[in-house]
Amino acid sequence: MQAFILGISNGAICVAYCSPILIPYLVGEGGNIQRNFMLIGQFLSGRFVGYLVFAVLAWGINKSIIHAGGQRELFIGFAYVILSLFLVAYGFFHIRPSCSAGFLKGSLQKAIHMHPAFLPAFMGFATGLSFCPPFLLAVTGAIEKGSLLGSMYFFFAFFLGTSLFFIPIPFIGVLRRFSVLPIIGKMATGIIGIYYFYSGVIMLIGAVKW
Amino acid sequence: MVKSFLLAFPMMVLTFVMLSGGRMSDDPKKMVAFAITFLFVNILFFLMIRTGKTDKYRSILFISYAVCFVISFITHLIELRGSMAISGANMVEGLTPFCHIVIPMTLIPAALTKTIIFPGTIIGGFASIASMFVLWIGASLALGRGFCSWACFFGGLDDGFSRIFKKPLIKNINLKWTYLPYAVLFVVVVTAALTLSPTYCEWLCPYKTVTEFVEVTSVKILMQTIIFVSLFIALVIVLPLLTKRRTQCGLFCPFGAFQSFTNKVNAFEVRIDQEKCVKCKRCLQVCPTFSVDEGSINEGKMRITCTKCGKCVDACPKKAIFFHVKCTPLNSTLDRYRVFFLYPAFLFLTTMAGNNIQDAIVKTIRLLTTGSMF
Repeated sequence: MQAFILGISNGAICVAYCSPILIPYLVGEGGNIQRNFMLIGQFLSGRFVGYLVFAVLAWGINKSIIHAGGQRELFIGFAYVILSLFLVAYGFFHIRPSCSAGFLKGSLQKAIHMHPAFLPAFMGFATGLSFCPPFLLAVTGAIEKGSLLGSMYFFFAFFLGTSLFFIPIPFIGVLRRFSVLPIIGKMATGIIGIYYFYSGVIMLIGAVKW
Repeated sequence: MVKSFLLAFPMMVLTFVMLSGGRMSDDPKKMVAFAITFLFVNILFFLMIRTGKTDKYRSILFISYAVCFVISFITHLIELRGSMAISGANMVEGLTPFCHIVIPMTLIPAALTKTIIFPGTIIGGFASIASMFVLWIGASLALGRGFCSWACFFGGLDDGFSRIFKKPLIKNINLKWTYLPYAVLFVVVVTAALTLSPTYCEWLCPYKTVTEFVEVTSVKILMQTIIFVSLFIALVIVLPLLTKRRTQCGLFCPFGAFQSFTNKVNAFEVRIDQEKCVKCKRCLQVCPTFSVDEGSINEGKMRITCTKCGKCVDACPKKAIFFHVKCTPLNSTLDRYRVFFLYPAFLFLTTMAGNNIQDAIVKTIRLLTTGSMF
């Protein structure tokens, strides 16, 4: 549930920052709405694979580092507090993280010619790994889960939340009417950050032996 | 004078019926309260018609309404339960009064699960869910977001604090913060739909400080209490004092954001006569809910968040701002549009405020004569 809410609150921003990469591609490659949906499907599949990679990584961190240290609650609580503060700053103040697939912008045309079939999926994979505060919080949340399945489920829910916002992309023209959507989305992320801050504090209080 | 009286007369008849509820009480305290309330509201309405000023007199009734609501509500709760705190048992019994701010959170769960995610009663009892929905639908059709300046029982609190100082101490507020209510709305609607609980009420509602709140029985509830009390102090008292704006209503309230969309279907609006306007930006400075910006001055209409309080209409030195009925010719010299709006708006305000004001007067008389409000 937490992961889905975090994903939903972050989805509008994912779309806002990654659409400069995605939309020119869709305009160039896609044709009708049906074709655009197919490309978005490939893009989201790549994004999902990227998230699953991080789910495995999060599980690995939990198994190796945190279990070895024996301070699981303290570590995750501390990570929640720090990252949620970043999330609040990111949500309410003028901080613009760049899309991690931004490098594709310049080499986009060349890449289209070389690997036309894999490009949407690769773009999805690359944009899925944007190290923005919500994503890092999702990593922390997945680490907290402990099991590989729990970690993957967490990222799956996060993926679902963010993906909802990509659905209108095939109807590109419609999005232009909602220019305030990224502002509202960022603020919503900031509010969710406050909740994570609270969760982190509660976790830290629980971890400290009085 | 005669014209003003004739225009005010229908309101006298209507308020008499609404305030008396169709029959006069035998209790002398209630009769006194009725007489004071009747005179108070009708003098204000007469002055609105006579002087052409809207917000000046609306605010007096609106603030009195909020103060009397708090007095009436708290004393009622103490009479009923012995405390402002609501216990788990009270919630299970469905004894929590429903408030309009919960409405946006209940819609998705109601559509999906046919359940109202609030521990109140559907029909009957004190502030039932059905009565609040009916009231909200009526007010939305009649007033749009005017609900926030003419019907909301909380709005008068930050409105009141925003009028205490003569000049604002904080002037430049970035307009991006006016989107915060939409973000709060988005978060509370999504979290309420996913958790099937009214998350705004649980975590954020500042007005719980002056109405009712959950009994503190755990660290979680303690944290929630700290959050909503802090928000009350910041958004309803401190920021309105410093900015001379209704910061809770304009910068935080998710219901206000939700209600803004009803302005699209409501017949009344506030417009700016482009020929008369000298771009002095007085309207921009006085608007309590940040509903005027450069764009709206250039376009001649208010932002979607306008609560139709009439403050800009009163403040405009060139009389360029006016109430207007959609689909009719734009004419800033006609006062009739304002009067058309005032009838439903003022009747709503009086109906909502009347019982609370009368109840607060009765309890105050009781306190003065017996030493107890109960």
